[in-house]
Amino acid sequence: MEIFQTPNIDFVSKRRYAYIISLVMILIGAVSLIVHGGPNYGIDFKGGTSLVLRFQKSVTTPEIRNALASIGMGTSEIKNFGTRNEYLIYIAQQKGTSASEIAQNIEKAISQAFTENPFEVMKVDTVGPKVGRELRKAALLATLLSLLLILIYVGWRFEFIFSFGAVIALFHDVFITLGIFSLLNFEISLKEIAAFLTLVGYSLNDTIVVFDRIRENLKVLRNDDLPTIINRSVNQVLSRTIITGFTTFLVLVVLFVLGGEVIRGFSFAMLVGILVGTYSSVYVASPIVLEWQQRRGGKRELRMAKRKSH
Amino acid sequence: MQRKNTIKTILILLLVFWALYALWPTYKVQSLAPEKRSALENEGKLASLIKKAIHMGLDLQGGMYLTLEVDLPQLIEQLARNRDDRFDSIFQRTREEINVSTEDFLTLLSRNFRQEDIPLSRYWGERGDSDKKIIDYLEKEAKDAMDRSLQKLQNRIDQFGVSEPSIQKVGSQRILIQLPGISNPDRAKELIGKTALLEFTLLKDPTVVSEVIEKIDKALAQERGKGKTESLNQDTTQAERISKASQDKVVSVSQLFGEEEVSKVGATKEDTSLVVDEQIFKENPFIALLRTSRRGESQVSVPIENIKAVDRILSRPDIQKLIPVDAEFLWDAEDFQISDRFYRSLYLLNKRTEMTGRYLTDARVTIGSDVQNAGRPEVNFTLDRQGARIFSRLSGANINKQLAIVLDGRVVSAPRIQTKISDGRGRITGIPEMDEAKMIAIVLRVGALPAPVQIVEERTVGPSLGQDSIYRGKMSAVIGLALTVFFMILYYRMAGAIADVALLLNVLILMAVLAQFHFTLTLPGVAGIVLTIGMAVDANVLVYERIREELRTGKTVRAAIDAGYSRAFLTIFDSNLTTLLTALVLYQFGTGPIRGFAVTVSIGIVVSMFTALVVTRVIFDFMTARRTLTKLSI
Repeated sequence: MEIFQTPNIDFVSKRRYAYIISLVMILIGAVSLIVHGGPNYGIDFKGGTSLVLRFQKSVTTPEIRNALASIGMGTSEIKNFGTRNEYLIYIAQQKGTSASEIAQNIEKAISQAFTENPFEVMKVDTVGPKVGRELRKAALLATLLSLLLILIYVGWRFEFIFSFGAVIALFHDVFITLGIFSLLNFEISLKEIAAFLTLVGYSLNDTIVVFDRIRENLKVLRNDDLPTIINRSVNQVLSRTIITGFTTFLVLVVLFVLGGEVIRGFSFAMLVGILVGTYSSVYVASPIVLEWQQRRGGKRELRMAKRKSH
Repeated sequence: MQRKNTIKTILILLLVFWALYALWPTYKVQSLAPEKRSALENEGKLASLIKKAIHMGLDLQGGMYLTLEVDLPQLIEQLARNRDDRFDSIFQRTREEINVSTEDFLTLLSRNFRQEDIPLSRYWGERGDSDKKIIDYLEKEAKDAMDRSLQKLQNRIDQFGVSEPSIQKVGSQRILIQLPGISNPDRAKELIGKTALLEFTLLKDPTVVSEVIEKIDKALAQERGKGKTESLNQDTTQAERISKASQDKVVSVSQLFGEEEVSKVGATKEDTSLVVDEQIFKENPFIALLRTSRRGESQVSVPIENIKAVDRILSRPDIQKLIPVDAEFLWDAEDFQISDRFYRSLYLLNKRTEMTGRYLTDARVTIGSDVQNAGRPEVNFTLDRQGARIFSRLSGANINKQLAIVLDGRVVSAPRIQTKISDGRGRITGIPEMDEAKMIAIVLRVGALPAPVQIVEERTVGPSLGQDSIYRGKMSAVIGLALTVFFMILYYRMAGAIADVALLLNVLILMAVLAQFHFTLTLPGVAGIVLTIGMAVDANVLVYERIREELRTGKTVRAAIDAGYSRAFLTIFDSNLTTLLTALVLYQFGTGPIRGFAVTVSIGIVVSMFTALVVTRVIFDFMTARRTLTKLSI
């Protein structure tokens, strides 16, 4: 079976539309981020206490809220977690009471309120404010370090301009995914950061395959201009890009549907990332190389023309 | 060529055998029937089997992960001598700064002292020691305290009986503890978090207690009555007033104080109600919050609803001034019940401690036999000779006074000294649960931590969520694998089936590496495996697409395969290496679960390079070696 035998799509000439689409996506994400006042950090980064309780019989959010109100925690965040009887309760850091004490108080209050409906503690996370800050820093550092390493590696294996294009594409992917997360008000915790970095790796993988082909074609097709070479290269690797994207997307859909609440955010980030990453390796990374080359080339021609006139 | 392939084939077969061998224990553990499992356990073989199986992270098998921070500032503060106001203010400032700073506490502290032009030798070390020498000394003390804390925590956990705990030092002041499969997380937290500082302290006389309480009461009443005319009726003494069984009612805070005054008394909207007698409250706002059960004793009882409010009042600086400098208020460790209401005792004690638990040699749980404590658990402790001597003198000199046994700032009991005690034995009574008595005995036996510890991060996963995650992870992996395998055959036919062989081998070897090298499999790690399944075919897709291209240019099957593999190699290498780079960074920065992800993704990438390139190539070579293929099913 073959989807594209010998595709010949003119990607380069449509790149301006792609720029507009990308810019609009990034802008929407940016506006959403500004409106929401930054990314919606999960407990790993903002600190606090969260519990997941599984009740034997069904309960409602107001019932839980009432139970918590008796210990003055009626303003806690309460949401359904997966199935009907599972609830997540989040309380921000409080002065004076240690985070793990809060968890104990909540358990006590709820078991007193629901004597007829026993529950099981599925999960407790408490993160102190200092740890939250450290984790945020570590995540940022990890992201920057990966980008730096990529820049160095790609710069070493390819020309600098390629690595510039690759990194721009990566920022593009992360920004758009971040924007979509903000738009849907999904939380960002450590697992999502891991997903972001992985999608960076994946998107780069795609980009390098295209670059590799461009490099190869630059040697073989000496008489063609860069737009032609880029177009041809992208077309040549197009079926690979789509097939690998498809199988990866497939397993991620499985993970998203079956993997459970704990890694849903992770698989969602990856799903979005695969789509955006595939798009960017075709429409963002290579066109940037082209733009740069054309501008630099333009200057060179200009200088040569001047010399001739003298 | 032929020979080279034979070697490769043998190598691959060996690898497969090794993988199956490495995974055998995992398979066995997973498929054991419950009765066989307990049989093995009795023979003592289960533990070694589990050790060889893939090790599962706490998020899969359930358990508790704690990060403790040892309060080194407190330790350093305790080491200081000749402390004065200036010291306290600089120290306090440093403590606040450390919360927002990334710097070392000692670095910060020495800089703050230098800014004020005070040499560190004024408070630590010998006179005239250089700052550097003192910092070195404090650093050594801090490191020593860390090591002792680690040792003591290890002992406590061992005595508590947790299987395969992991306790390690992280950085200069943190300890990471992992307790798999723990059944009572709250108790374990208590066991670990307790400093276990045992102190014997005398209670203040009842007269002093009521004096202090009256002073506080008056101060609050005046504040409330500002503008109103003083109308305090002094007919009855305050003490009598407290003891008067009152008409308690649950009253809302705002109702009592009026909205504006709520904050003045220190109550916030969090306490929705207090238990007071409104009559008394009007004139004695503090006393109204208290009850006393027995007259002539130094403690007062407080309905638990009022504890927060009392705490806030007592912590106010202006109220603190009313408490004698050599005294402090401490709460009882347990609540007690009279009819349907719960109370907690509040004590006024000497600040000076008569004796600490360092003289303790043993602590055991027994069941009380005297009338008052019959059948209830208690902890008996024994003091060494020096301790016994101190205790004897102390008890002899204070007969008929109340001596509080204070554990970590909470009064566990306050018996009245009846006679001089010279055998160096004592007991702690009034412990509600057996489990708790056991825990107190353990922490007393092991001894106090050199500095208090605080839980700064906790991750607990219940056993059923772990089971759930394992099941979901397995399902996702199996279905993801099935879909990918099916798709590859659909798209590439014969060649797809070959790639599938490589894919299955990839997963097999990946799991075997996890088992053999004792990596920990976490839920994100499982996600990493699923992701690997989707991404690992990439190498084959690259090769196959290339072969198709080469075939289109009219090359023979054999030549096309050769060209496909050799041309795709560099691309595969480059693209995989960058993914590997990000995975390594993740490993470096990530915590437990994320590390598991980085591990599976990294192994998956490396293994996929082998299986997708070497294994499939050997299979292709076998196919083309016997007869010349004119058509390739790709």
